[in-house]
Amino acid sequence: MSDPNGIDRRAFVKSAVAIGGAAALSACLNRGADVDVPRGPETPSAEFPERQHAWNAALPTTDAGNNHHPRHRVLLALDYGDGTPADDERETVEAALAGVERAYERSAAGLLLTVSYSPSYFDRFDDDLPGSVDLPEPRALSAFEDPDADDADAIVHLASDHGEVVMGAEEALKGDLDELNGVAQPDAALTDVFSVRERRTGFIGDGLPAENQDVSGVPDDGPVPEDAPLYMGFESAFKGNQPTEDRVTIRDGPFAGGTTQQLSTLTLNLTQWYEQDTREQRVSKMFCPHHAENELVEDAGENLGTDPRMDDCGEPIETARNEGVVGHSQKMVDVRENDKPIILRRDFDSTDGDRAGVHFLSLQRTISDFVTTREAMNGEEIDSDSAVGQRTNNGILQYINTVRRGNFLVPPRSLRALPPANPDADVAEVAENAEVVDA
Amino acid sequence: MRNPSRRAFLAGVGATGVGGLADCLGFELESGSREPPLVANRPDAVYRPTHTEGMAMAGMVSDGGYSCALTYSYPHRFWTVTGDDTTQVEVGGNDALHLMPIVWHSESGVVPSDVNPSVDVTRDGESVVDGLNPWPMLAQRMGFHFGDNVELPEQGEYTVTVSVGAGGDRRTGSLTETAAAEFEFTLDYQRSELRDLPFEDIAEARQGTLGAVEPMRMEMVPTTQAPPVDDLPGTAHGTTGSGDAVFAVRSLDDATPFGGDADQAYLAVSARTPYNRYPLPLMSLSGTLSRDGETAFDGYLNEWLDPDLGIHYGAVVDGVGSGDELTIAVDSPPQVSRHEGYETAFRNMPEATLTL
Repeated sequence: MSDPNGIDRRAFVKSAVAIGGAAALSACLNRGADVDVPRGPETPSAEFPERQHAWNAALPTTDAGNNHHPRHRVLLALDYGDGTPADDERETVEAALAGVERAYERSAAGLLLTVSYSPSYFDRFDDDLPGSVDLPEPRALSAFEDPDADDADAIVHLASDHGEVVMGAEEALKGDLDELNGVAQPDAALTDVFSVRERRTGFIGDGLPAENQDVSGVPDDGPVPEDAPLYMGFESAFKGNQPTEDRVTIRDGPFAGGTTQQLSTLTLNLTQWYEQDTREQRVSKMFCPHHAENELVEDAGENLGTDPRMDDCGEPIETARNEGVVGHSQKMVDVRENDKPIILRRDFDSTDGDRAGVHFLSLQRTISDFVTTREAMNGEEIDSDSAVGQRTNNGILQYINTVRRGNFLVPPRSLRALPPANPDADVAEVAENAEVVDA
Repeated sequence: MRNPSRRAFLAGVGATGVGGLADCLGFELESGSREPPLVANRPDAVYRPTHTEGMAMAGMVSDGGYSCALTYSYPHRFWTVTGDDTTQVEVGGNDALHLMPIVWHSESGVVPSDVNPSVDVTRDGESVVDGLNPWPMLAQRMGFHFGDNVELPEQGEYTVTVSVGAGGDRRTGSLTETAAAEFEFTLDYQRSELRDLPFEDIAEARQGTLGAVEPMRMEMVPTTQAPPVDDLPGTAHGTTGSGDAVFAVRSLDDATPFGGDADQAYLAVSARTPYNRYPLPLMSLSGTLSRDGETAFDGYLNEWLDPDLGIHYGAVVDGVGSGDELTIAVDSPPQVSRHEGYETAFRNMPEATLTL
């Protein structure tokens, strides 16, 4: 893995993603052979699914049977500015997105992306979002959190197993590359239309958290297990803990085929987690006390395969009453439908601000589904009726803080470029105008 | 007996280096710990620890119906609790101090157990610690409070912000009138000041004996003790106990403030430590009330905050009669972290009974 300069290439690439920019990309590409990623199709719109968030079919399956998650991530938070978008701006956005899609195949090894829009983006239109879309302004969802509202107009989520790919796509979308992976890029950039408010970065997958643990929020002695996919040391997105993409897809109205995206910035305080709790306490709090007592979780939990065996945990209130602790996953069991959660997790860890954090990104049909899930995680009734405290022994609430939250609509692909708030109304209006012209 | 050299070691090893170590000769130090070794053969009860520690206060601020005093001492060991298990937490190599934001309800003086303060520390506008949620704790000199050992990079002034969210639903009277609150302090971290804090050894013959050191009195901060048993409101039904905890039982004629009706009674259990009568929050208690061989009540005794009863456990019942048999089951012991002298008590807690 070492390059001729003696520095681990993988470590260099993940730092480069966090730093970003053309210089970082160039340094990255100069340090080793270009990654060999197949190109995308000539006409992505003809081949790619209407659901932007339909990633699962493009993700490999891990040895344990779960979806593999693309290891490197960039979230571009974009501002549109004042006024309503014009058609030429829509064409520019679509051309820029299609440019990177032609450069890399749509896969975890290649590039997966979504574009999403916030309530503050949609506020500029005279029409409201249709009733089929549940996209409220973000708000605090517990008595003990006070997050900032994420009011970026749009979020572009770039994901790949290769840091070079997300960085390359980002630079191309900003109009800084004429060619990407040997594919000529259009004379159209997201930055022709948007300003980049903030770039957020992150990673998920075996080894990356341990490589990135030299940040505030993690004790200095490097306690994150070497093979852990996330900072807290455990697998999280077990197949049995994820709904289908169908379950999170909007079914009706002009945005059918889309989904909603909840995006929280969480900070982690893992000194308590790693230095003041034992592994048994950690397993109790992450999974449930039953799993801790019976030593069901080995290492990060790969031994659980696709099923974290939540049915064995017992009722949250029962363990809270009788064992003084309730597990994070255990609290979520009650919000399941057909034995599956109702939010699809696509979250990842981050070192943004040199701080151990999580970009908790989830997809769900309605933001209400997220609220229901988050309320279960708060465990207020459990806290009220048992020895479990507001945060103490209440899953992992003691170790995480929500510092920012945003709600976004991930429209279907055909509406991904600066959608109006109510496409049907727009169509009706256009038709009406056409009639007027005809008359 | 004051012992400045050990304090110097405790607070200043980073700065004083090998010279500091020389000061410490003569003390038997446990591996990985800078504190004297624990008492051998600790009883499964409240016991007198090896030493007592003083503390300093950065200030006192009021907001939202609460007051908060930011207090601190040198870092020290404590035990986290999950279920019946305790985990000893050693002082970390970079720990600068033990930070304790004491939040109380301004009007009643009750330290609320249903809100968890959160702490942010900045220096020159740069974040040093953010979103730290200290542990609920129990200490012989302070009673129930929140605290944790905290790392600070260097000596000097820090801005410390303590915030608490809105209170829970099981509150009565003026305790229901609080709002989410934020308290800001300037903390001047100086190792010399920490060195000057009292550190008193307890005579070896008394270490580990049943008993507790005296509560500390702090200016501007109300006592964190539970009301004396005789001062509790309602009808007295005596006391019972479990695992060294004292349960003082009362009944009130009107259950309205606790979600019941005026013609129902409220059965209250004030659980407190022996000797210092600190409230014991974060337990799962349940109760069974039997009258003439019939069960009159069987259910949770939930944790409530009341201006007169303080932190206590209770249930609405259809009446309490003289001669009723009350059984109190401790389904989970107090899930509060423990300072030395409390870590072996309030863990193995069998059923307690009392004839009312």
